[in-house]
Amino acid sequence: MSTPILLALLVVVGILTFLYRYAMIGFFAKHALPGWLHALCRHIAPASFAALTASALFVHGGDVQFAFDTPRPWAALAAVIVAWRTRNVLATIAAGMATLYLLKFLLP
Amino acid sequence: MAGKATSASGEFLAGCRGEAPLLLGVIPFGMIYGIAALAAGVPAWVAQLASAMVFAGAAQLVIVQMLAAGAGALPIALTSGLLNLRHVLYSASMAEYVRHLPRRWRLLLAYLLTDEAYAVAVLRYQRHAADTAQRDDGADLRHWYFFGAGFTLWAGWQLSTAAGLLFGATIPAEWELDFAVPLTFIALLTLLLRERAGRAAALVAGLGALAFAGLPYKLGLVAAILLGLLAGVWTVRRLERVKQESAA
Repeated sequence: MSTPILLALLVVVGILTFLYRYAMIGFFAKHALPGWLHALCRHIAPASFAALTASALFVHGGDVQFAFDTPRPWAALAAVIVAWRTRNVLATIAAGMATLYLLKFLLP
Repeated sequence: MAGKATSASGEFLAGCRGEAPLLLGVIPFGMIYGIAALAAGVPAWVAQLASAMVFAGAAQLVIVQMLAAGAGALPIALTSGLLNLRHVLYSASMAEYVRHLPRRWRLLLAYLLTDEAYAVAVLRYQRHAADTAQRDDGADLRHWYFFGAGFTLWAGWQLSTAAGLLFGATIPAEWELDFAVPLTFIALLTLLLRERAGRAAALVAGLGALAFAGLPYKLGLVAAILLGLLAGVWTVRRLERVKQESAA
């Protein structure tokens, strides 16, 4: 992506994010949040992170590839286990990176 | 007059102190963002500017991850725009506390309303009665606490972005530090999967991302997230119906 388009994208996302943050304390300060919006918001983060994780691990240039002969899926699995056991974000990242380096070292 | 200034600055500094422990978790994110932005080919000055303009860690990591995967501008805007929608919830939750402030204060506090600043400021508003933060003339000064917390996080985010950009320029690509971004998503996702509806949303969105992988410009990600949202809403409805039927 060219730098001018990237800048335009960031300006749009920045303005949008500011409008979200200002919405209920500025424009609609005397209104309650609609129930459907509240219900939708709780699913946005799990859905987004799951889609992005699946895509980052298994989609390569528009094709789905389960490359289990490469280190990354296994490093991700180690991260999932540590995340599940510890619920600690930094420990999860550390475990995933450590497993990645270990497998890169062990695999030819 | 001196007394008034002391209490406003006192609230501000208390907000800075309240936010400080959260910086420990934020600084690695800022550094990962800076490193991954360089790896995705984003110029350093643009990556730093993004931290000031967007000022939302998860969305910035999503933008960088999608750029690295070759996504188009529209899918990136839609995905990060959806992900940031949660800030409307924080805004709604803060409304009763900041509604009375002049507009310039509300504009400033809205800009600083991140996950971490919200978490600290809302506790100050909820736990401490207004009178503990009052001046002699009875004015409520807790917005200075909010400002202190928000400013501390803002400064921490800008500096850790800069540190990541400086550090990232010196490390070789073989270290694969860009992999820290999906690892961060895994960690955050696991924290969010306590509820059944959240698990349904995540499962459908994850499978959808694979099913729609062939769509151009990574638009499949947007479709997957929207399907995940539907699955979450549908699961909540179903669970409520089951509860009602078993009660009746």
